[in-house]
Amino acid sequence: MLSYSFMQNAFVVSLFISVLCPCIGVFLVLRRYSMIGDTLSHASLAGITIGLLCNQSPVLGAFIFTSLSGALIEYLRRYFRKYTDLILSIVLALSVGTAITIISSGKLRTNADSFMFGSILTVTKTDMVMVMILSIISVLTLIFLYHQMVYIAYDEEAAKVAGVKTGLINYVFFVLVASAISVSIRIVGVLVLSSMIALPVATALQLEKGFKQTLIFSILFSMIDIMSGLFISYYLNVAPGGFTALVSVFVLLMVLIGKKLHTSFNRASHAS
Amino acid sequence: MIKAEDLSFSYSGSPPYILSGLELEIKNGEYVSVVGDNGCGKSTLMKLILKFLRPTHGSIVTDAKKIGYVPQKNDSINSGFPITVWEMLNSYRKLLKLKDKAVVSESLRLVGLSDHARALMGNLSGGQAQKAFIARALMGEPDLLILDEPSAGVDIDSQREIYALLKRLNTENGITIVSVEHNLDAAISNSTTIFHLHGGHGHFCTPQKYSEEYLGKGGAHA
Repeated sequence: MLSYSFMQNAFVVSLFISVLCPCIGVFLVLRRYSMIGDTLSHASLAGITIGLLCNQSPVLGAFIFTSLSGALIEYLRRYFRKYTDLILSIVLALSVGTAITIISSGKLRTNADSFMFGSILTVTKTDMVMVMILSIISVLTLIFLYHQMVYIAYDEEAAKVAGVKTGLINYVFFVLVASAISVSIRIVGVLVLSSMIALPVATALQLEKGFKQTLIFSILFSMIDIMSGLFISYYLNVAPGGFTALVSVFVLLMVLIGKKLHTSFNRASHAS
Repeated sequence: MIKAEDLSFSYSGSPPYILSGLELEIKNGEYVSVVGDNGCGKSTLMKLILKFLRPTHGSIVTDAKKIGYVPQKNDSINSGFPITVWEMLNSYRKLLKLKDKAVVSESLRLVGLSDHARALMGNLSGGQAQKAFIARALMGEPDLLILDEPSAGVDIDSQREIYALLKRLNTENGITIVSVEHNLDAAISNSTTIFHLHGGHGHFCTPQKYSEEYLGKGGAHA
């Protein structure tokens, strides 16, 4: 299977996605921003169509448009303090409106469907290089800003007292979210992308560990989800995005059942 | 020192003001309890000192070089966040750019939480969590400590320990303390001065005088 060059490309991209998505996802989930992830996933579709329309890399188009959408969300938070969910509707209207208008215009030479559902066959060498560059820069930025990001997620006021420039880091954070989304769309697809960001984290949270261990387990679960999704979808001849989402739900269920059994076993041994 | 002159604030930027023409002067080394009814602007005043908010009119300044802040429990803190006591303090040490890891163990020892370093913050009792936040505020040796209702949701024994610690930090280490208080007994017993906020204005009085007024009203503010 890995003798095919398209499968090698898909494998490398999946490996990078499985590390980057939970690294960003853990902060999105813990800041209760899962829906922002969903909105930005849809925003990436507009970036893809703009990239394709301009004969440029769709991944680069998605990265730029999603970053701008993230910055717009952060900026609009000042104007809609009491109705922050409205901001997501505004950004969704702008991005989905752009995507549908471009797709329905018939001016795209490429089919945008593969970006909706994810596809192994369409990962090119250029995409792979773009994904590697964006992932490495993003992970290095995360390592550099690790403690600031942890504190903004945990206690933003305390971070401000310690002199953290929370406004600036929030903008950087949205660029990182945009990066994670852009690198993932080829394999996972726009429609289930937000679940790939959130589900491995949701699974790791069930283990009730500290932050660093939760992050490590999120990466581990993400690797299991995405790699199993990739290889099994190849043999079943289905879109990897949908199947990866199913695997991630299955892994979460297994962990929940394991946790329940562990608790019951502990209770029984205490009682006896 | 903290000094406010003609300080007014409203979230909309126009009247009615939560704080209106407030005058305030807190000298270094004082332990000031800020008291008043719900919604009188106590927490807003703290946020103005911390520069989380900007005055609508007037000014508020402090010459404190390092400020420690203990937030109101469950106010801004995400209680389901998966973070251990050690991680919470160690990350803060990194934010303060303190190189010596020993400050984490030292601050835990100071508040009596050394045995809970590996516990998840969400699994601590109210009193233990509050002590952990005080430990965090003490890292970097602040000259001003600001607390927002330090005894809220804390059991009686832990309250006693927390106030004993605050008094010791004030008298022995010379740390200026400004604490928003609903616990009037604690305010009267521990502080050197009480700042009573009412109707957007405030006035200072001694704990003794406040106690007489407070008791005279039969505990109306309790």
